[in-house]
Amino acid sequence: MNHFPESWGRPRDDIYGTYNPAYLQSTGPKAHTQSPAVTGTSVIAVKFNGGVAIAADNLASYGSLARFTDVKRLRKFSDTAVVGFSGDVSDMQYMDRLLESIDIRENYSTHGNMLNAKNLHTYLSKVLYKRRSEFNPLWNHILVVGFDGDKKPFLSSADLLGTTYSAPHLATGFGAHLAVPILRRLFPEDRPTEDITKEDAVKALRECLKVLWYRDARSLDKYSLAIITEEGVEIKEDQRLENQSWAFAETIRGYGAQVV
Amino acid sequence: MTSLVNQQPHSEAIGYSFSQSTHAPNKQHSFYPYTDNGGSTLGITGADFAILAGDTRSVAGYNINSRYAPKVFKIGGDDETGEGAHILLSVVGFAADGHALKERLDAVVKMYKYQHGKPMSVRACAQRLSTILYQKRFFPYYVHAILAGLDEEGTGALYSYDPVGSYEREQCRAAGSAASLIMPFLDNQVNFKNQYIPGSGEGHALEPKKAGPLPRSTVEQLVRDAFTSAVERHIEVGDGLQMMVITANGIEEIYTPLKQD
Amino acid sequence: MVCLSRPRKLGIHRRKLISGQTSIGTGYDLSNSVFSPDGRNFQVEYAVKAVENGGTAIGIRCKDGVVLAVEKIISSKLLKPGANKRIATVDRHVGIVSSGLVPDGRHFVSRARDEASSWRNIYKSPITVPALSNRLGSYVQAFTLYSSVRPFGVTSIIGGWDSEGELAVDGQVGTGPQSGAGGKVKGAKAGGPGLYMIEPSGLYWGYYGAATGKGRQAAKAELEKLDLGSETLTLVDAVKEAARIIYVAHEDSKDKDFELEMSWISSLDGPTKGKHEEVPKELLEEAEKAAKRSLEDEDEDEGPKGNANGDERMEE
Repeated sequence: MNHFPESWGRPRDDIYGTYNPAYLQSTGPKAHTQSPAVTGTSVIAVKFNGGVAIAADNLASYGSLARFTDVKRLRKFSDTAVVGFSGDVSDMQYMDRLLESIDIRENYSTHGNMLNAKNLHTYLSKVLYKRRSEFNPLWNHILVVGFDGDKKPFLSSADLLGTTYSAPHLATGFGAHLAVPILRRLFPEDRPTEDITKEDAVKALRECLKVLWYRDARSLDKYSLAIITEEGVEIKEDQRLENQSWAFAETIRGYGAQVV
Repeated sequence: MTSLVNQQPHSEAIGYSFSQSTHAPNKQHSFYPYTDNGGSTLGITGADFAILAGDTRSVAGYNINSRYAPKVFKIGGDDETGEGAHILLSVVGFAADGHALKERLDAVVKMYKYQHGKPMSVRACAQRLSTILYQKRFFPYYVHAILAGLDEEGTGALYSYDPVGSYEREQCRAAGSAASLIMPFLDNQVNFKNQYIPGSGEGHALEPKKAGPLPRSTVEQLVRDAFTSAVERHIEVGDGLQMMVITANGIEEIYTPLKQD
Repeated sequence: MVCLSRPRKLGIHRRKLISGQTSIGTGYDLSNSVFSPDGRNFQVEYAVKAVENGGTAIGIRCKDGVVLAVEKIISSKLLKPGANKRIATVDRHVGIVSSGLVPDGRHFVSRARDEASSWRNIYKSPITVPALSNRLGSYVQAFTLYSSVRPFGVTSIIGGWDSEGELAVDGQVGTGPQSGAGGKVKGAKAGGPGLYMIEPSGLYWGYYGAATGKGRQAAKAELEKLDLGSETLTLVDAVKEAARIIYVAHEDSKDKDFELEMSWISSLDGPTKGKHEEVPKELLEEAEKAAKRSLEDEDEDEGPKGNANGDERMEE
């Protein structure tokens, strides 16, 4: 037996087997964020005549566990922009902190915060690109909505790699598969966004959220919706998809082992 | 007692009752810093012009991110309008790297003008772009770049690059996902590969058709044809065709829709 | 002999000094970190002199907010009116105005902003006004300790509002438990107005009404009349009082042009929603008009008595 003090209180190899120090990871590549932990699912947004509407549900999942059910994933920046976050929630909080400090700093000048949504998107995409280049990504896919320098509605996306793109309607995560086709059918891209009313846009978003609630297992029927127009930002954070039910599933016939 | 037998002899070094392995198994990086945003670009030069074109689709796997995400940029001009630019750059591959590369080259060309009081020549810009790419030799900008402009004589100049900065001046070049579809077409239609002068001889005596600079209208039509064909055969190409034509009079931008399927 | 080289207008402390000994020539005034035999730091006292020449700055604390005001002396007609603000915002909810050397004031504000942002980084919530004042007090005090530095040539008034409501800070996840451990205590009082003044020595007190700069004596006398301790004055009235007091305090240096600059911080349900902002133009003009009017009234009341006031008036 080893009686030396350094082994006091340690499990004995002969009884417990040799200790596996693998998790200590003393060598090998530096392990920064390798995967997201607590995550938010899709964010969806549509441009309409005179503004942009954006929506995301209030769920933060921990793997398949619905961990937090009242999370605000739409973040307001001054009165000029809203950022919708999907992906890692802690990274979202970090970026939210960045936004907060920018807003505070901008307000030190006499003219106040002059940054618009386009400026904000440029900034955030550079942050994301820098972090991916350091192999320490911020595990998010974001949508930035608001107005550009010419006061035109602005909607653009940026992801954890720093990839950016813009379109009249965008969605992250599952929404890219399920919501975008719906939005593209409702509002064809060759039709000018001026033809879309605010009500149309909001109705379409709610419709998409319904589909997502049914088909995305990491989604929730509680959601937030933000509408940004010349007048300012209106965020509704305690919205609910009414009358959603899987009960109809029982009446479906003809799947699997079930015959007729 | 096994423990007595297994016990390591006491030494001066700190020992533990468990064996301290210094070689933990290496963890694999699960983060891959690149993605392929698809699309294709194409450049052709003429006697007094150069055309750089690209489709405007941006993809992620089977998803279309956007139907309008330009891949051809004016370099060294105004930030918003691109006015005053005399060089064109197209980037295809990983869009975020492409964007970063474009911003860097744009800054370099602007700084050159501020410091030397004259616009950067396309030749100098081409060499600089190669250096920028090679500087990231071990973490490359994952893009195929094509640079276009007019050289000192006023003839069209086109430089094509691999992701780590190897470059060459050419008459024409296609890059991106449909490069393998477009390039053979260009070989045949621009450089007249496999084209012979009818009746000039038999077998090896057959005289190849001589390639020379093509007129602008022909080149524009070639570009359109190349892309409409690529759209048919490649899923990552489509939505819109952005053509930039640089002549002594400046840069002209032409947009034409492509199929959205 | 030596005394003659000093300005004639001397404070109480200076008088005492002259009767006993002078700081000049003794060497005790040449360096920070050196006490005089009777336990004074002359560098600090000289810094106070610098403050006494600055434009009057005041702060008023009321139940529903804080007002800051400053008499900005226009040193040149070439300066753009309304530019070169003297009241600065720190974080969102704090304002700082200082009197004395303007660049020193700027540096002081910059430090305050750094403190506020570092507090946010650590605690994920805005710094409270007392905490900020404490840190800045320590910072200013440190400049009295070393021979390599000089003290701040400013006295600063820090006004702010600590949020009385739920703080929407950061990317908070979830709303937390409604009751039990970690639940919120109903009706618990939090936040409120804060007004502090820091002097070159690093000394700082909390105030209901604070004044510094050239016209501080007159301003203090006016502030004392307001009975701020009873917390009956409303914020809007305080704005008007502040404007009036700056005008009153300016009386003694009437030959110089000045601009009135005012800012305020109200409660969350007040006009600024807990933020430090410039007083809106309309209200500022209204307050300024009222201030001028009340001065004219006073002049009429006083009549010839005003003339006995001093030689400065006669020069007009």
